[in-house]
Amino acid sequence: MRIGSLLILAVTVVLTIHTAAQSAPLDEIRRVLWEDALVQPDPGALEILDESSLPELLKQIDPYARYFTAREYRSPTTRREGWLGIGGELIVGSGGIFLSVYKGGAADIAGVPDRSKLLEVDGKTVAGLEPQAVAALLKGAEGSIVHLTLDLPDERQSSVALIRTAFKPLDVELVPPGDRQVLRIREFIAGMTRPALQATIDFLARKGAPINGSLILDLRDAGGGDLYEAFDLADLFLPPGTLLGKVQTRGGEFTEIRASPGKKYLMPVVLIVGPGTASSAEIFAGALHQQGRAKLLGQQTYGKCSSQTDTHLSDGSVLRYTNREVVLPGGSSCSGAGLLPDREVSDAELIDIVLLVGEVDSLSVTE
Amino acid sequence: MKKTVLIMILFAGMVIGGCATHNDPRDGGFFGGVAGLSGGSYKKRVAEREERLEELRAAQRALDSEKGQLEVQKSTAQAQLNKDQARVKAMQSEIAALDKKTKSLAASQVTDKQRVADLQKRVVSLKGKMNQQASSLDDLEGSGLGDVDMDLRRKQLEKQRDSLRREYDLLMKMQIELAQ
Repeated sequence: MRIGSLLILAVTVVLTIHTAAQSAPLDEIRRVLWEDALVQPDPGALEILDESSLPELLKQIDPYARYFTAREYRSPTTRREGWLGIGGELIVGSGGIFLSVYKGGAADIAGVPDRSKLLEVDGKTVAGLEPQAVAALLKGAEGSIVHLTLDLPDERQSSVALIRTAFKPLDVELVPPGDRQVLRIREFIAGMTRPALQATIDFLARKGAPINGSLILDLRDAGGGDLYEAFDLADLFLPPGTLLGKVQTRGGEFTEIRASPGKKYLMPVVLIVGPGTASSAEIFAGALHQQGRAKLLGQQTYGKCSSQTDTHLSDGSVLRYTNREVVLPGGSSCSGAGLLPDREVSDAELIDIVLLVGEVDSLSVTE
Repeated sequence: MKKTVLIMILFAGMVIGGCATHNDPRDGGFFGGVAGLSGGSYKKRVAEREERLEELRAAQRALDSEKGQLEVQKSTAQAQLNKDQARVKAMQSEIAALDKKTKSLAASQVTDKQRVADLQKRVVSLKGKMNQQASSLDDLEGSGLGDVDMDLRRKQLEKQRDSLRREYDLLMKMQIELAQ
């Protein structure tokens, strides 16, 4: 699996860091993996599963397998109910740790520009720290204050005090420069992201956005979500009957997913992608790109076209494991390979939305 | 003594003269006021002040009108929000009824247990989504979003509610089919 020169690891600051598994029902885990995993595991690998090193041993069987206690678990395909924190995600790049700012969160309200580089948290430098350690520094009780020192995108340095607050992010955000129809999708939430995208496109049209102007979807921070929501989103842009992808299950059986009848958007589409674009986001981008419906701008994507399912075990804990692989319309999966952009940009350009929008114009004209 | 009186008169004259730096009698200057009355600039000043006053009144009227429009917008938005909340509440009740029926269906001697289990799972998921819709609507005010984004959030919630409505209709149909 190739991850680009700019390794982006999005760590949601508002999430709880998962701790080691406790009292896992090992026999149940062995049975589920034996019966339902996409690739049937080696019996020996199942046999050696034990409590103390469960996360590592599960990863040897399936790189995306994970065990959650009932308390730790949150479904990746549903919208988060409560958000608390500074209202940002950490984006780890080669040049440092950057903040991806959520609309309506504390950082946004305090005027912190998106993609500001994080230098210090409460006077402690973040250089050399693991992202999880930085996330831990940023977390705290509602109403508490955290002081950040930032390098702003215009290269000024700034100190800001943020009050950790509860907030609810938009399911699809309008990103400045908003008059150019830049829409940011971070998650593919079952049954929610498609109507949110439709509402946002219609909202822009009512505000006077040009009907034939390029629609720019920013998928740089989209790390996945619900597989079928990704197909449902691609369905909005492709004629009825068009192949969106094939879902492969245990035993090599394929189910074709095709675009349905209904209202379709016809404007040109450009997708901004990067190493943080993964899973459902890659499946959505791959379907549109390989059907010639969208151009890709940015950097090579993460490279994960497999899908995981979450099985609730008898004690309320949850086992996540790979049970499907998606083959894109071009005939191959993106797993381990990623999607290659039509126009590749540098690390510096990838974090600058104004430059990226400028690239969209040249991409539309010349390619 | 005479010299002292003269100095005092001169000094008083200077003091009065010091006040008379404007031609407008309303500014309190004595000599300037008299000069303004006799020279015609008083009327000019009055006209200027009236013009300024009219400008201020026009600005006030514009502000009042804007305030009125904002109040209308706010009250329309509030009415829309109340309507949306009522719709979501009604849907929550309908989904709760569907959940109850599905549970009783699961307990009955229905043949297609797998489809009933699938339906049950989907009803629970729909119930969760609908509850989230309700809480998102409740939290719309004071969400920290600006006016444009709040308007956008409202539109997104509206569209999502319509989508959930379609999902509910589909599940209802499934439930009826299974019950037959």
